[in-house]
Amino acid sequence: MLELSLKKAFDGFSIDVGLSLGPELLVLFGPSGAGKSLLMKLVSGILRPDEGSVSIDSRVIFDSASGVDLPMRQRRIGFVFQDYALFSHMTVRDNIAYGAHGLSAPEARESVAVLVTLMRLGGLEARYPHELSGGQRQRVALARTLAARPRILLLDEPFSALDYQVREKLRADLLAIHELFPITTILVTHDLEEAFMLGTRVAVINNGRLEQVGGREDVFYRPATRNVARFIGMRNIFNGVVDGVDGGTIIMHNPDIGIVTAFAPPDARVRPGARVSFCIRPEEVIVVRPDRALGHMAMENVVEGVITSALAKGSTHILFLRVGASETLLKVEVPNFVRRKLALASGAATRVLLKKESIWVIP
Amino acid sequence: MDFFPLYLTVKVSLVSTVITVAVGCAVSLALARKVFPGKGVLDALVMQPLVIPPTVLGYYLLVAFGRSTGFGRFLGDTLGIELVFTWKGAVVAAVISSLPLFIQPARAAFEGVGADVENAARLLGRTEWQVLRTITFPLAWRGLLAGAVMSFARATGEFGATLMVAGNIPGRTQTLPIAIYDAVQSGDAQSANVLVAIITVFSFAVIYITGRFVRGGR
Repeated sequence: MLELSLKKAFDGFSIDVGLSLGPELLVLFGPSGAGKSLLMKLVSGILRPDEGSVSIDSRVIFDSASGVDLPMRQRRIGFVFQDYALFSHMTVRDNIAYGAHGLSAPEARESVAVLVTLMRLGGLEARYPHELSGGQRQRVALARTLAARPRILLLDEPFSALDYQVREKLRADLLAIHELFPITTILVTHDLEEAFMLGTRVAVINNGRLEQVGGREDVFYRPATRNVARFIGMRNIFNGVVDGVDGGTIIMHNPDIGIVTAFAPPDARVRPGARVSFCIRPEEVIVVRPDRALGHMAMENVVEGVITSALAKGSTHILFLRVGASETLLKVEVPNFVRRKLALASGAATRVLLKKESIWVIP
Repeated sequence: MDFFPLYLTVKVSLVSTVITVAVGCAVSLALARKVFPGKGVLDALVMQPLVIPPTVLGYYLLVAFGRSTGFGRFLGDTLGIELVFTWKGAVVAAVISSLPLFIQPARAAFEGVGADVENAARLLGRTEWQVLRTITFPLAWRGLLAGAVMSFARATGEFGATLMVAGNIPGRTQTLPIAIYDAVQSGDAQSANVLVAIITVFSFAVIYITGRFVRGGR
């Protein structure tokens, strides 16, 4: 359990975040400079917040109101630094044992042995950090942290310095370890794929503020703000003005795209005349065959445009469709065979369909 | 041939190096780690002996520790420490002039340890003293040793400030560099040659051995 509510102001940047975690792995996701690492430093005590409070398992470790500010050594926070911060003058065994202090010698040896096995570091105990690969160093750092039996774990971009393959393996390791030690964990990342893979819950941070905190599906398919939509890779984000709301359906218009019908976002009050954003993933835009008449099913949200460019992207192509009078571009991702069959090349006039259920409206 | 100057120089240099390392570690840790008001002033102040003429430095010390100031009288009458024209004065002169030579490499060494590594140790439950003892010093020792050797070498060669504060009393405050000057002035070329040879061999050996030690440790 971790409860935090922290504020700190710097020259030209401020952070103000409140979060509550159970025994879970939460991914703190956001662009660089959003304040992710800063928040980890404020929680751990490396930096002192201006105001707020932090408690772990109902034990207050920081509270500006009552003047509580426990030193780092008493916080029982496991912190894995981005560059691991291993002790370069100590062997793997000594690094891990450094975390296991306070135990009797046989207990410490036992704890180190267990962690060495768990982290697949067997045979490397007598090596120094400079004799290890990046992935091994990362595992030593995690083992050292776990040896101290922390109440919460803070992982600051733990995989960012590693190769792609190593990273994938270590992410799987981390999930397995989290199952084994279900410690409240915050993992910081700016990597979308990593956030999606690891976060049962995801908190999206931007410019020192949380934009959305929710389940993975919520954040990735139902972004609460335009910024979140942008960070999670939504590409087609447009402005709309609400014309009317009818039950669960919302009707909007955009000067270039025309009238758009979509499902209204749940528990959001949108009135006619309100300005909203709506978005659709490129892979969910449907290209309509020009030789087919439109059935009544497909009468809504038909958009006409001209392809300005087509980029090959492995098994698919990305088409940029200019719609309307201005420079509005709609990004469409189509499988290669569809592009071939329909001769979708630069300059071709094309008709696409934005299916009602594919559109997400942001109030 | 009088070897008292050699003995005195070794004694003064050893004592001054111990003091320099202790004071220098505290100052360079503060300069490397902390942000505090007057940090820039402290930094400039401890570096002064590098640029100020040793005689000027010696004059400051002579005035400060002499009987004409309250501080000097407090040292002498209350604490019983007489610095002017004693070997202890030579130690103070050596400490002040060798401090910057210790602080420069020591500060760089402490900065090289990195805040993350120390914070990692703190978060693993260690006190400030334990962090210093098990992380900071073991990682910085090469820089500290280099600084200590430079300070020692500087202390053995200290002339101007020592002459001002401790004077040139044969058998009491006459250090090696001063004895060399004295020998040359009085035309005693033989003594001068022997003392110069001793100090040359000694200085070279210290730097050479430490250099190998510091570089070849890994």
